Amino acid sequence: MIVVVAEHAGGKLRKSTLELVTVARRLASGLKSEITGLVMGSDVSPVADELARFVPKVVVAQDPELAEMRAEPLTTVITGLCKQVEARAVLVAASRSGLSYSPRVALRLDAPLLEDVTSVEVEGDQLVATRFSYLSRVTETVRALTWPVVMSVKPNLFPVAQAGTPGLAEQMRPSWGESDLRVQVGEKQTGQGGRVALEEADVVVAGGRGLGSAEGFAALVEPLADQLSAGVASTRAVVDAGWRTYAEQVGQTGKTVAPKLYLALGVSGAVQHLSGMNRSTIVAAINKDADAPIFKVADYGIVGDVHAVVPALRAALKELE
Amino acid sequence: MKIITIIKQVPDAEARLHPAEEGIDLDGVTFVIDGMDEYGVEEALRLREQGFDAEIIAVALGPQRYEEAIRTALALGADRAIHIETDTVLDPITQAKVLSNLVSEEEAELVFVGGKQADWDSAALGPALAEALGWPHSDWTTKLDIGAGTLTVTHDTDEGQEDLSLPLPAVITTQQGLNEPRYPTLPNIMKAKRKELKKLPLDQWGGVQAKTAVVGEAIQVRERLNRVIEGDPVEAARELVRLLREEAKVL
Amino acid sequence: MVRHVREFAQAEIAPLAPQLDRKPSFPWKTLKMMGELGLLGILTPEAYGGAGLDMLSYVVLLEEISAADASHGTIMSVTNGLPQQLLLKYGSEAQRQRYLPKLASGEWVGSFCLSEPHCGSDAAAMTTRAKKVDGGYLLSGTKAWITSGGEAQLYLVLAKTEPSAGARGVSCFAVEKTEGMVFGKPEEKLGQHAAVTTTLTFDRCFVPEENLVGSEGQGFSMAMASLDSGRIGIAALAVGIARAAFEAARDYAGEREAFGRPIREFQGISFKLADMVTKLEAARLLTHRAAWQQDRARRVTREASMAKLFASEAAAEITHHAVQIFGGYGYSKDYPVERYFRDARVTEIYEGTSEIQRVVIGRQIFKERVR
Repeated sequence: MIVVVAEHAGGKLRKSTLELVTVARRLASGLKSEITGLVMGSDVSPVADELARFVPKVVVAQDPELAEMRAEPLTTVITGLCKQVEARAVLVAASRSGLSYSPRVALRLDAPLLEDVTSVEVEGDQLVATRFSYLSRVTETVRALTWPVVMSVKPNLFPVAQAGTPGLAEQMRPSWGESDLRVQVGEKQTGQGGRVALEEADVVVAGGRGLGSAEGFAALVEPLADQLSAGVASTRAVVDAGWRTYAEQVGQTGKTVAPKLYLALGVSGAVQHLSGMNRSTIVAAINKDADAPIFKVADYGIVGDVHAVVPALRAALKELE
Repeated sequence: MKIITIIKQVPDAEARLHPAEEGIDLDGVTFVIDGMDEYGVEEALRLREQGFDAEIIAVALGPQRYEEAIRTALALGADRAIHIETDTVLDPITQAKVLSNLVSEEEAELVFVGGKQADWDSAALGPALAEALGWPHSDWTTKLDIGAGTLTVTHDTDEGQEDLSLPLPAVITTQQGLNEPRYPTLPNIMKAKRKELKKLPLDQWGGVQAKTAVVGEAIQVRERLNRVIEGDPVEAARELVRLLREEAKVL
Repeated sequence: MVRHVREFAQAEIAPLAPQLDRKPSFPWKTLKMMGELGLLGILTPEAYGGAGLDMLSYVVLLEEISAADASHGTIMSVTNGLPQQLLLKYGSEAQRQRYLPKLASGEWVGSFCLSEPHCGSDAAAMTTRAKKVDGGYLLSGTKAWITSGGEAQLYLVLAKTEPSAGARGVSCFAVEKTEGMVFGKPEEKLGQHAAVTTTLTFDRCFVPEENLVGSEGQGFSMAMASLDSGRIGIAALAVGIARAAFEAARDYAGEREAFGRPIREFQGISFKLADMVTKLEAARLLTHRAAWQQDRARRVTREASMAKLFASEAAAEITHHAVQIFGGYGYSKDYPVERYFRDARVTEIYEGTSEIQRVVIGRQIFKERVR
């Protein structure tokens, strides 16, 4: 059995879950396995119904204790299901939360973990995956040596699955051990202000110190991002200067993104920043310094003042509409 | 209370990596303590400076060259160090099992682990170590307060940030923003040379079997077009939109 | 140790250097950080709050700081080398207790006042007077080229207690910054702008008796004895500037292309770089040898002068070539090499000009029967 662990927000499946379904379908024939989706939460029937359009079987673990994303109860539910269905592979999105509970799942199942994978194949009787290492500068190939295998899959790389034959949903009643509920979740703050999640965005508009000020950032980056339905990213320098929140930071100590288009405004291109975006399909950069390292990793570059070029860019995009 | 901070040594972010016959060539690369681990050492030092009675132990699992990173942790202020020295490359899940033995033996109550390792780009060690120990954990932690038997933390999530409270003992994985690591002082650098650095073999607690094997490494250089668009802002912007739409087909 | 200090210097000091060059201000913030790390009391024993390291460590660390910013290097070399060394060697226990911890921690910066407007290397010709009065001395006269003038809190001042006795009439005083001291406006210099330099005029400025360092009449020989280590320090500083220039030129030569290939592939450039790095290494070795010998309590007058002479002239030459390799950009303030070029120039002048070094070396040839 291949278990696909669903992620959802606002009563809907995340795009990353449908990418997991694509990976699971590719593996299913090689592993001669069926696919089971797992939906966890406090009120997730609509999500389970949505997932049932994509996989033949959905297990729904519904419990008030699953209202929050907490690694330990999630691990208990996932490993419980895996043992019950004798899972061969467990697929999890390599989101912050996925990266948080998947190592626990692997350890509890005494399973290898293939982390943040970018491709995976059945080779002989083993799973072989590729993933990035050395700050995304190296692609390594990793072989899982035993079964079952736990795998977190990098978001935004695989195509979204198409709906298949409708499947069935069944309920599962989680039971908690003493240690499962010891972490208490307090206040939350959400960033991004309703914009598309950075890791899932097809287009990312990034701003750097070259924008001059927090006001300059807001005035140039945000409207352009809205026009392109893009996520907003910042460099570390911008976050350190207090212009933007950390949730937007891309780079070695921030998020790693690989959108179809990465548009860098006033970003110099420090190596630490590049490690967070160098897997983007197309990179375009606008910077007044012709020697800025960002141009070395850019497909298209405009040497010029962002304050002049960005308004022109917005006008040009408007003409298109 | 004992605090353990896990140390890794990684290539300097600025280092140029070269392809080798098999994998990549790390000869001539400068290695440094992983920046993420420095946040952990710093946080342990700050807890102590706030009046919290703690012995700080730097722990590393890796080859001989790790010693330099361990000495950095000692120079920053860790009291002593333990180095499980091995050339065997182990996946984070297996490392977690090995390290959990050491943490238990030392009866530590708080363990700091770097949020994301700069060599394997892995965030797995912290959560896996917590699981192996049967402890709770907080990952991507940006703020930490310690109370009687409880930690209150703020950490990054997919949506933003949230506060957590968790009982001790616990594992904390670090993140930029947790603190601003100090530089070691000259006298402390000298003193670090005399601090205890205990070496242990990998099989100290029995045989170790890796769960995954790295079978290939390739340096990824994505060929970029490097095309500079000339002209005044209006012309250049128009041309960029055209290229993104017609040539790159991303709009 | 070097690695840690390099990391600090490159992360915290180097980014400030262009700004400090254009809009000079005394870099208190980074100096405090240096003090916390022990970089402002390297040679001072731990008992007095210093790092208690040797001269060789000192020159290696001074090179690192100077490679990041020469102004920081100069302030560092003055406060480490002169006031602290003089107080350690000649000061009373009370003076050491009072001043060394403050200086070593960077709470205070120390300065040294030897030159006067009309005399530099000819120190015996000074006219600043210290007149004995009840309970102390009254200082009158003008000192020139005071590094950290107006910013430093402690000044070691040489003044004549016995005007008729020539060099033997000079005494040394530890003077805390007070109102009786008038600082001139900062000199407008070719380089090292953040290492503020002023004149300092004493107008019957009272200094208590207990602030006499050593004994009356000992000042000149104290100053002369401190010259050796001061010169080794300037040599290290010159090596630091030269290294920064060499590294910038090396990297640029790898990036900049002309006629379809990186300019480092042209012999005209690679030969220049080869000469630069060879000179750099030779200067560093002379500097290290002088420091190493001083650590072994050997007399290093000749070695110190040789290191200072060679390193400062090498720095002038290396920074000159660096500007050349950068071409037009080398002449532009958008790149750092023109600053290195200006910053290096003074190393041929202060702590004894190159001419003085040659005089010293020439004299020592016959004194020591150098073969």
